[in-house]
Amino acid sequence: MTGFKETLKDALRQMAFRTSIDKLKKKGVHKVNVLGLDRIIALVEAAVHKSLQSRLAGIERDAVAESTKAEFVRLLRSNEDLQRQKSEVERARERAEQEIDRMRRELNEKQQALKLKLEQNAVELANRYDGENAEIARKVSAVVQSLASDDDGSAGTVEERLMALIMDVISGEREKAEAAQRALHDREVVNLQRRIRKLNDTLSTTEQRLQQVSAQKDVDTGISSIYREVQGLDESDAQAGKKKELMATIFQANLKLQKRSRGA
Amino acid sequence: MEEQEKTMTENEGNDAVDAGNKKDHGVLYIGMDLGTSRTSVSASNGVRETVYSAVGYPKDVVSRKLLKKSVLFGKEAFEKRMSVKLYKPLEKGVIKSGADADEESKANMKAARDLIGEAIRLAKPRSDELVYCVIGAPAEASMKNREAIIEAAREHVDSVMLCSEPFAVAYGLDWLEDVLVCDIGAGTTDLCRMHGTMPEETDQVMFEVAGDAVDAELAKQIEATCPGAQFTVQMVKEIKERYGFVGEAPERVTVELPVDGKPTAFDLTDQLQKACSVLIEPILEGIKQLVATFDPEFQQRLKNRVLLAGGGSMVKGLDSAVEKAMHERLGGGKVIRIEEPIYGGSNGALKIAHDMPEEFWEQLK
Repeated sequence: MTGFKETLKDALRQMAFRTSIDKLKKKGVHKVNVLGLDRIIALVEAAVHKSLQSRLAGIERDAVAESTKAEFVRLLRSNEDLQRQKSEVERARERAEQEIDRMRRELNEKQQALKLKLEQNAVELANRYDGENAEIARKVSAVVQSLASDDDGSAGTVEERLMALIMDVISGEREKAEAAQRALHDREVVNLQRRIRKLNDTLSTTEQRLQQVSAQKDVDTGISSIYREVQGLDESDAQAGKKKELMATIFQANLKLQKRSRGA
Repeated sequence: MEEQEKTMTENEGNDAVDAGNKKDHGVLYIGMDLGTSRTSVSASNGVRETVYSAVGYPKDVVSRKLLKKSVLFGKEAFEKRMSVKLYKPLEKGVIKSGADADEESKANMKAARDLIGEAIRLAKPRSDELVYCVIGAPAEASMKNREAIIEAAREHVDSVMLCSEPFAVAYGLDWLEDVLVCDIGAGTTDLCRMHGTMPEETDQVMFEVAGDAVDAELAKQIEATCPGAQFTVQMVKEIKERYGFVGEAPERVTVELPVDGKPTAFDLTDQLQKACSVLIEPILEGIKQLVATFDPEFQQRLKNRVLLAGGGSMVKGLDSAVEKAMHERLGGGKVIRIEEPIYGGSNGALKIAHDMPEEFWEQLK
């Protein structure tokens, strides 16, 4: 019995909440009646025993009392299980938040890297072409100079023709080289873009999961209602007839409203 | 004398009803008073909670990260108002929404939906229990508003009904006949006479002099009489809630307000008295109107059964002041302030939920 009393005491302690006088005042409470834990337990016990005594015979009474205590302990345990589940959900939420942070950073880095790479490639290519053009022009000029020294008067025409010929050849080569390089580059870009897409997908999935976990965050036992079944008006109520009419009127108004709402 | 008992119960949160769960554990009834300033809930598991009717959404990714929440409610939303987009979705007792569904209206509707969800969460329902809820809505709420409230609540409960707020207050106290309920909210004061049947339009009077009007008057008084004092609407509201009175001052009221960043003490006794007194005249006019149009045989009985409810009724001395004014202008009357002004509406709604027959709940599922 002492063990049960202690369990009951612990349960009451767990279920109670602390508040300040100021907070109570704000809620419109100006006076409270204080009831000690021991007194509550004594009252519960007295009420249970009195009720059992008046309705049950000796052996039956003991059995009911025992099964009630067992049910109480079972409920407390189920409460503990739910607390554990709540902690797990909260841990999952923290993990998901960390994962999202990591992914956001990675995505940002990848996007920066891709942008940088595209810019670098454009500059490098332009520089390389400038250098190549100058080199070709220098070589052609040298060839033409040597030809001109052999045959006076037609140097300009020869240079022009030669230049056109060479540039034609070179641009063909360049196109091929560029195509090959572009293909290589495209593969790289496509890879990076695919990676970014994948990261984005994972990010949205994780965020979705986080939202679900957040929604579940506060899920726990809740507090049981004192009713196991739907109640309804107490027929012995002095104003039962009047109240019944009022309930019907409220219901009719709501039925009309909700029909309209569903129809819309 | 106000004497109230608070049942201290467990402080654990709970979320909305999980549709996938088998609901075989029991039935939780919730009564809700959806008010401009506060939303209160009373439930059949002993929970009674109230939250300021304010909703805040983080302004950007940084504030969201910092607040670690996608939505804040009540006092927390006010406190973090620099980092959130703050909505007070109810105005004059109804959800703020324009005729055309502009962005602001949509945002207010969403905030109202989230607020109703939060209020139901505060009632800590178990996911394996049926949840039946009655919401006290202002008698003047439009059809669109009522539909929005129902739609929002349906996301969180198994079945929901609306009823008029003052009616819920009277029902909660079992005063169904010849009683005049005066529900002083933040946005509106609603008066409703009960005569044993459902009150009709002619049984109700609503006016917009209520808690917010007192705040506005108090702010005006402070501005005029306290040079340099800095304050916000929320600060004014808190001063009123703590010290508000009419009639004889129970004691001098000294409040500290910042002046150029330095807390400075101001005596606000007279300002509070003047500001809170703005409630008396319209209430008296409302009472007069409803009494004068009532069956003459029962007018005296109605005058002797005036109930003051709602947050505004917590102004000290208001019951005596209205009673005194009734003696002078209506030849007598008796005014009773309900014991729990904040929870009067939600307690009544809870009682209605309890008394509603099972088949009615079933049909509205």
